[in-house]
Amino acid sequence: MADKFVLDPITRIEGHLRVECEVTDGKISNAWVSGTLFRGMETVMKGRAPSDAFYIAQRICGVCPISHGHASTMSAESAMGITIPNGARIVRNIIEAAQYLHSHILWFYTLAALDYIDPAKALSANIADTYALAEKAGTTSSDFAGVQKRLKALVDGGNLSIFSGLLGPDGWSGHPAYAKDMPAELVLIAVAHYLEALEMQAEATRVIAVMGGKFPHFMTSIPGGTAWMPTEEKLDDVLFRLLKVKAFVDNTMIPDTLAIAPFYKAALGFGGGHGNFLAWGVFNDPSMEGSKRYLPQGALFAGSLAPVDTSPDKIKEDVSHAWFNQADTGLNPASGKTEPVWTDYNLDKQYTWAKAPRYDGKPMEAGPLSRMLVAYVRGVEPVKAIVDKALAALGTNDPTVLVSLLGRVAARNLESAVVAEWSIEWCNELIAALKGGDVKFFEEKTPDKGAGAGLWEAPRGALGHWMTIESGRIAEYQVCTPSTWNMGGRSDDGTPGVMEQALIGTPVADVTKPLEAARIARSFDP
Amino acid sequence: MTNEVRAFEDRLAERGVSRRDFLKFCGSVAAMLGLSEAMVPQIAAAVEAAAASKLTPAVWLDGGLCTGCTESTAQSTNPDVAGIVLDILSMNYMETIMYATGDVAEAALKKTVEDFKGKFIMVYEGSVMTGFEGNALRVAGKPGLEQIKEVAPNAAAIIAVGSCAVDGGWVKSEPNLVGAMGISEYLKQENIKTPVINLPTCPVNPEWIVAMVIDVLLLGKLENGEILKELDEFGRPKLIFGQTIHDNCPRRGHFENGEFVYKFGSAEEVKGYCLYAVGCKGPQTYTNCPIVRWNNQASWCVESGSPCIGCGDFNWVDENAPFLGRTRRIGIGMAKNGAGYNPGSVAAVAGGVVAGALVVHGFGMAAAGRIGEGPATEEMKDYDKKRMKKGGDK
Repeated sequence: MADKFVLDPITRIEGHLRVECEVTDGKISNAWVSGTLFRGMETVMKGRAPSDAFYIAQRICGVCPISHGHASTMSAESAMGITIPNGARIVRNIIEAAQYLHSHILWFYTLAALDYIDPAKALSANIADTYALAEKAGTTSSDFAGVQKRLKALVDGGNLSIFSGLLGPDGWSGHPAYAKDMPAELVLIAVAHYLEALEMQAEATRVIAVMGGKFPHFMTSIPGGTAWMPTEEKLDDVLFRLLKVKAFVDNTMIPDTLAIAPFYKAALGFGGGHGNFLAWGVFNDPSMEGSKRYLPQGALFAGSLAPVDTSPDKIKEDVSHAWFNQADTGLNPASGKTEPVWTDYNLDKQYTWAKAPRYDGKPMEAGPLSRMLVAYVRGVEPVKAIVDKALAALGTNDPTVLVSLLGRVAARNLESAVVAEWSIEWCNELIAALKGGDVKFFEEKTPDKGAGAGLWEAPRGALGHWMTIESGRIAEYQVCTPSTWNMGGRSDDGTPGVMEQALIGTPVADVTKPLEAARIARSFDP
Repeated sequence: MTNEVRAFEDRLAERGVSRRDFLKFCGSVAAMLGLSEAMVPQIAAAVEAAAASKLTPAVWLDGGLCTGCTESTAQSTNPDVAGIVLDILSMNYMETIMYATGDVAEAALKKTVEDFKGKFIMVYEGSVMTGFEGNALRVAGKPGLEQIKEVAPNAAAIIAVGSCAVDGGWVKSEPNLVGAMGISEYLKQENIKTPVINLPTCPVNPEWIVAMVIDVLLLGKLENGEILKELDEFGRPKLIFGQTIHDNCPRRGHFENGEFVYKFGSAEEVKGYCLYAVGCKGPQTYTNCPIVRWNNQASWCVESGSPCIGCGDFNWVDENAPFLGRTRRIGIGMAKNGAGYNPGSVAAVAGGVVAGALVVHGFGMAAAGRIGEGPATEEMKDYDKKRMKKGGDK
């Protein structure tokens, strides 16, 4: 007889998510993931001006609005037959990169780190040893004594604020899934960096504010290019802030990752799921071709490392387990429909507001792990070098071990370093373009009809927006998000979704405190 | 120096904030709240006392949201002084950042509601989702509405953050299949009388939350009821949402001179001309964005070259779209009889020639309040009054 547990709400994610699992012999034997919110963005789009979609569609996600904005504006440009000027391409790459850096830093430190470091343990760290360990690990030092004092004051005050649920008989501190052999000093380092990361993720968003007005929800990447006109002063500001963030990623985030990862080598053995990966690719080069993006498009199947070229025509979205009109199952987003029909929460029938997209009939993982694996096997250089370095730190040279929980976590952090490096490159490219007289940033065209798609990558994975224009208005609009790829439920034939499959096989020490399941869910940055 | 002050100064120092920075911050808060400079020491003392005493419990509930308001709030953090003010709130429940998950998280919420009945602050983000019998949003296996009904009546006050919480935001725009509405409207429907402070825009600007925390909690205006006098009839703090973006826009001079951006990516944009001709909703949108700016004052929409899309307006998507093509009403320089100076037909096709013509006819000056009867104080637009009567936003 299987034990059961439910995690609802899953916290430290964007939005609303429920996970329900059965556990047999200490391992998850079955899992259901439910997206518990439906707002109806696609239905809001109909009948509006194509240029409005950019502004509205971003509001799908307050963590990755830049990517939604870009995918939306690209769908409009594709429908209108616009190729944006080179200057606008570079501007968009920089804004997108700033969001990646913001998102990955926030995810690792603020959302995910507490699943791997038990913050209460930091109280027993020896300060001198903490400095020594930071030096040995090659990571940055902080005012470790000050941080420990603040933490102690919080615990002694008895009011734990956001850390409620940590201590006490029901608290998760001391959970057996936390690495017992992790020194308290490493925990204190991570807690100190948890606080510094808050400032760094904010610094990254200030780049977006300068180039896009504000974050979340930016203003400038309208169909046709960008409304932002660079000046020397603004570019100095952008470059300065990006260099600061890059220094944090290189000198703190990467060494922290490499210091913590060896304590969780067991997590190379589970959480990989189906092993199918999809990337539409992100960051355009001057050719503007999907196949030539800095992080290129591609699909990998069943753990094989032979990349296949992608086509959006192969997507079908199943809805037999979701609260939508059952007649609409199996549609391609280009002709997709969004017709909500609430029934009841029933695991055998419908249990989620998320559609279940499939590529060539297969559930595909989207996200940094997909992008990094595709780029790795396609030989993209800075990716290959940093992945090999991380594999070496884990004592292996086999990239297939990354098809796992630890691989997914590491891929996101390693990607940050690659994107940080490129962001500086693009700043310099933009400065050179301006000096060379390449000053065009906007191209206008407003045809009455057309249809197109914007295929792009949010920090959390493959993202597509589809737009059909008739009589100058949006006739049809569909969105396929990374979160539906990852946390969509079962397909019509009953195959579990990506996160569901990743949960299956994961060991759970205590069904009343299923930390391990929360880890898997959060590893997708849902 | 009292012990309290000393303890507070230590905390400032830990965050690398000098006493001078702190007082400067108090000064900017005073300005935002419309208080005189003489109030700065009082604000400073209130922050110090609050930081030294017990934290004020708060819970942050997520409705039909994109998490953008949480994200936005996360941009106002240490070592900035604002972080210290936000620390005064003990966020016992905040899904996006809290340690606990699942049942343990729900228990923390329940405990706060029970232990601090009538004393905690409830922050609400996102639309209230009433559609599908409340199942458009499910939390902890039930309709999300249940959570509101359990928590809201027991809160001392509710801060609705972002346009979705204020009036349903974009989620409420046509066709609104999900029954989205603002928290005020929902509470009225459920006969829950907890006072609501509405902070619109999409997302909310954290500067306003900080100002409200100081105003409501530290200056004791909730207890003595004074806060209600400071809110307009939509529950918005008048001092933050009392003037239009156009009133304070750094590009305003170009508007008066008839210098407009007619095309994105043009030489006019490099010169920082007025964005009215490409659809700017600054003249009808009531926020102080040009003053407080965004992301730690890094920039704001108009400065980046984009027209304002009026995300702080009521029902902002339906009312303001198409964002780039027309302005609904210019509404500046309203006459005392309230008829207003609203060249509807002109604004509807506001293009280069027409906008230029406005200036030729002296409209720019009239709009700026330099001629005629002078600037009317803009308590509320006619449009908004009508909308209220229609029962659109409560």
